[in-house]
Amino acid sequence: MVQYQTVVGLEVHIQMNTYSKAFCGDALSFGAEPNTHVSTISLAHPGTLPKPNKEHINKGLKLALSLNSEVNKVNAFDRKHYYYADSPKAYQITQDRLPICVGGALEIELADGSKKNVRIHHMHMEEDAGKTIHDIDTQYSMVDLNRAGTPLLELVTEPDLNSGDEVLAFIAQLQQLVRYLGISDGDMEKGSLRCDVNISVNPVGSKILGERCEVKNVNSKKNAKAAVLYESQRQIALLEKGLTFNKQTLHFDPESGRTSPMRDKEDADDYRYFPDPDLPPIRISQSEIDEIQELLPALPWEVKKKMKEQVKLNEYDSTILSSDKKIADYFFNLLEQKANPKLLANLMINKILPHLNGKEMSSIEIEEDVIISFLSLIENEKVSPSTAYQKLWPALIDNPSKPPKDLAQSLGILQIKDDGIISKIIEEVISENSVQAEEYRKGKKKVFGFLIGQAMRKSKGSAAPDVVKKALMDALHN
Amino acid sequence: MVIDDALISKLEKLSRLELREEEKVKVKEDLNKMLGMFDKLNEVDTNDVEPLRYVLDEHSSAIRDDVVGEELDNHKALQNAEESKKPFFVVPKFLKK
Repeated sequence: MVQYQTVVGLEVHIQMNTYSKAFCGDALSFGAEPNTHVSTISLAHPGTLPKPNKEHINKGLKLALSLNSEVNKVNAFDRKHYYYADSPKAYQITQDRLPICVGGALEIELADGSKKNVRIHHMHMEEDAGKTIHDIDTQYSMVDLNRAGTPLLELVTEPDLNSGDEVLAFIAQLQQLVRYLGISDGDMEKGSLRCDVNISVNPVGSKILGERCEVKNVNSKKNAKAAVLYESQRQIALLEKGLTFNKQTLHFDPESGRTSPMRDKEDADDYRYFPDPDLPPIRISQSEIDEIQELLPALPWEVKKKMKEQVKLNEYDSTILSSDKKIADYFFNLLEQKANPKLLANLMINKILPHLNGKEMSSIEIEEDVIISFLSLIENEKVSPSTAYQKLWPALIDNPSKPPKDLAQSLGILQIKDDGIISKIIEEVISENSVQAEEYRKGKKKVFGFLIGQAMRKSKGSAAPDVVKKALMDALHN
Repeated sequence: MVIDDALISKLEKLSRLELREEEKVKVKEDLNKMLGMFDKLNEVDTNDVEPLRYVLDEHSSAIRDDVVGEELDNHKALQNAEESKKPFFVVPKFLKK
């Protein structure tokens, strides 16, 4: 039986989080009243001229450098023509011949720990289209042009992905990267990151790629994975029956988990690309590139490596704490303030992050120095770890500005390790329970537990059990 | 390149124009003349010449800082539209792309 291999390439559209649009000063405004962030330029009034946005270029350079992609020091904009209500110019400004960068790679890590290098074909700058809405009026399609002109980067991979899981891992890694770089919120639900998934199947060992089908505008990682699974099975089934199929553009329906044709690529659009005469080429100097390189933050995989190798956290802890830049920054910031790494990692993963429940790290209501004192209570064995988590942490959430030591005191959970205090307690216990003490000395060893219990009760549970044990033992054997 | 009826009909489709028969004849003639001119240009050997994408190629492009500028309010935005239903521009209903 013939074995098939799934081959996938991605085109990922990433919306930049600039203040203004790619070629004019309209504000970016997800969810604003329709057609309130538009201008004569985004509405394509005659005689208006586009002007590139410096930050669109800079953010593109950031992503290019972090993927080791080669920057085209001269890159330029072209017009891609199509006629549709979401684009009043009847063309999109994009980069065809001279994109901002070419080549590079992104390494992905799969669930089994294996790694794979996914090559980048190129990345280009372009503008987003407006939105058309078809279901609020029976007679008309409605057009909202707030999104028209939003700066995009389109990243095109080589066909290096071979499964739904790899596609999912790639999108997740890219999403994490753009968030680390601070160039996009990477939110797929909002459409800030959208994927076209090109899928083909070919017999294993064959170099010939099968006919390719493109699934458009996939809007979640889960759907991307599902689309790959469905589409590869559909294509294999056709090939098994000896049928051929054309290049197709498909739509993925998350409800049914199926793809359906949008239009045949056979009758491919003729976009009539040509250089946009309104926009001179973008020239980028080496010093500008160096400057951006300097500004690059530590990248997610570098941060994770540092957590594992320098801080000696395990794989699981490093993965979670490096997942988000703000979480990682918080962690390293507290380390600098001499927090115990393992205790801090535990506290963040088991208490702080669940408490924030997806909200930003900065929304934590407890000051850093308070967290540090909380951790030092555990580290110095003033409060046992389990008591600290179960009693002191909830109290701290309710009183975020109170010193943890005071809270522990009022909760009566500060461990007493002071030999003087403990031996005084033991003395009292022995004199109040002289009968039992005598029994122990005569060999009735199980009375020991009773005496320990008495001592712990006297200390209101706050004496350190190991110290009490040792002190009682010493006292009884004297 | 041959300017035949099939090409004219493709161009009509791409440019959303409907030409009358006599216009088609005229357009065919014009296009043939234009292509003739390009054929003439093609006689020059440009193998070692860098393509000139932009006339002011030596000038660095005018680039904006990323600041929000003047926008049109919804009323003004819709004012020049042939048809609108506040706050939207409207177009005849068409199937989803």
